[in-house]
Amino acid sequence: MTERDTDAASDIDLVRRAQAEDIDAFCLLAERYARRIYLLAAHYCRNPQDAEDLSQEVWLKAYQAVQTFRFDSSFYTWLRRITINAFLNHRRASFFRSHGQTMSVQLLQIDSEEQHVFIESSSRSQENIYNKLLFESVVNALAELTPAQRLAFLLRHYEGMTYEEIATAMNCSIGTVKKGVWRAIGKLRARLAPESDAQETLTSLASEY
Amino acid sequence: MHNCKETREIFTELLLDGMDFRSDQALSAELSRCSECSSEFEALSATLRLTNRLGETAAPAEDYWPGYHSKLRQRLVNAQTESSTSGAKAQRHKDELGPLFEPLRPRAGTSLFARFLKTSVPVPLPLALALVVAVVVALPFAIRAARKEVQQPNTTTIVRVPVEVPVVQEKIVTRVVYRDRFQAGRFTKQTTEASQGESTFAKSQRSQVEAMPPGLAGFKPSDEVKLTVIKGGVPNEK
Repeated sequence: MTERDTDAASDIDLVRRAQAEDIDAFCLLAERYARRIYLLAAHYCRNPQDAEDLSQEVWLKAYQAVQTFRFDSSFYTWLRRITINAFLNHRRASFFRSHGQTMSVQLLQIDSEEQHVFIESSSRSQENIYNKLLFESVVNALAELTPAQRLAFLLRHYEGMTYEEIATAMNCSIGTVKKGVWRAIGKLRARLAPESDAQETLTSLASEY
Repeated sequence: MHNCKETREIFTELLLDGMDFRSDQALSAELSRCSECSSEFEALSATLRLTNRLGETAAPAEDYWPGYHSKLRQRLVNAQTESSTSGAKAQRHKDELGPLFEPLRPRAGTSLFARFLKTSVPVPLPLALALVVAVVVALPFAIRAARKEVQQPNTTTIVRVPVEVPVVQEKIVTRVVYRDRFQAGRFTKQTTEASQGESTFAKSQRSQVEAMPPGLAGFKPSDEVKLTVIKGGVPNEK
């Protein structure tokens, strides 16, 4: 029996216990998959606080719906479906709390009184600052897409889902999904490609810290 | 034949899948043929490598997770408490109203229609009586209203009734008097001769008669004037 089979087996066991209203069992499931859900949420809503709220909302919805899980797919596949629905139904306003923030705004925040908090919360190394700026740049590129396009890209790139799976999960056509993914790639390519100005600016800005 | 669009689609999908493009001999050959595709491939490959690094970057530090999970556990406990409270309320409500809908509950071997036909709902007696009285009182009004609606059709019917109208006929009496132009002088002469032997009164009477127009000679008006006013064609109106 492989490790994956063991995980799946224990998933089934934990889900059965969660269906019997065992919160501890459900929390064990959450500990197992919380990072993946959180990362998806962080890429989707560009804001750590929103990512936490949204990912916890996903877990709450999953807990409320765990009785409906019929074991005809893996627990994570079922959870991902709930995640996609929660993302798409989440209020747009709260998503874009930081809409309009650009990289320079983030840098101003670093320059401001929150400087120590920012620097101490991350490590002081240049690479980490570079990574944070890179993250901002990527999420700003993704913010230029519609939520559905952004989600399609995240599911294709980070979750490795096929276009058919994404189209089924998002209840749209395969063409729409492909278009969203390609638009996302185009935006990212324009912002992050090595020869692009943005990338040069990013590197030079990162080297200053 | 090299097709840039097709090549880019292929390598993009390969990169998204995280596959090693170098294992694809055909793609490598295509890239070696076109410098633009090759540079595009390098750029895209670098872009997606950077985004892959984001997973590590965006992930919170390990000390973040205990707080996250304790918060989540608290929310789950709250949700469970709420759902058990609302579940208890729902159960109480169900216990109160359950018998009402008992016949409609699905049972094996009976169709919904059959269950619907057999369904009975207990209603308090005063409410039932009030409903019956209301129906009985409202029924005549409803019937009357329905009749009125029937009696007020907008269609116009034309009924032809023959009416006899008396027509007042006036008698017009005309008198035609012929007068010979040549005998006028003789007539004058004869009257002159006849008047010689008459008295003065007779002469005066005759002169009045002669003064009258010849057409009305001999016409004597009646003593009583009787006027008949005909108004609106009704003969009795005077």
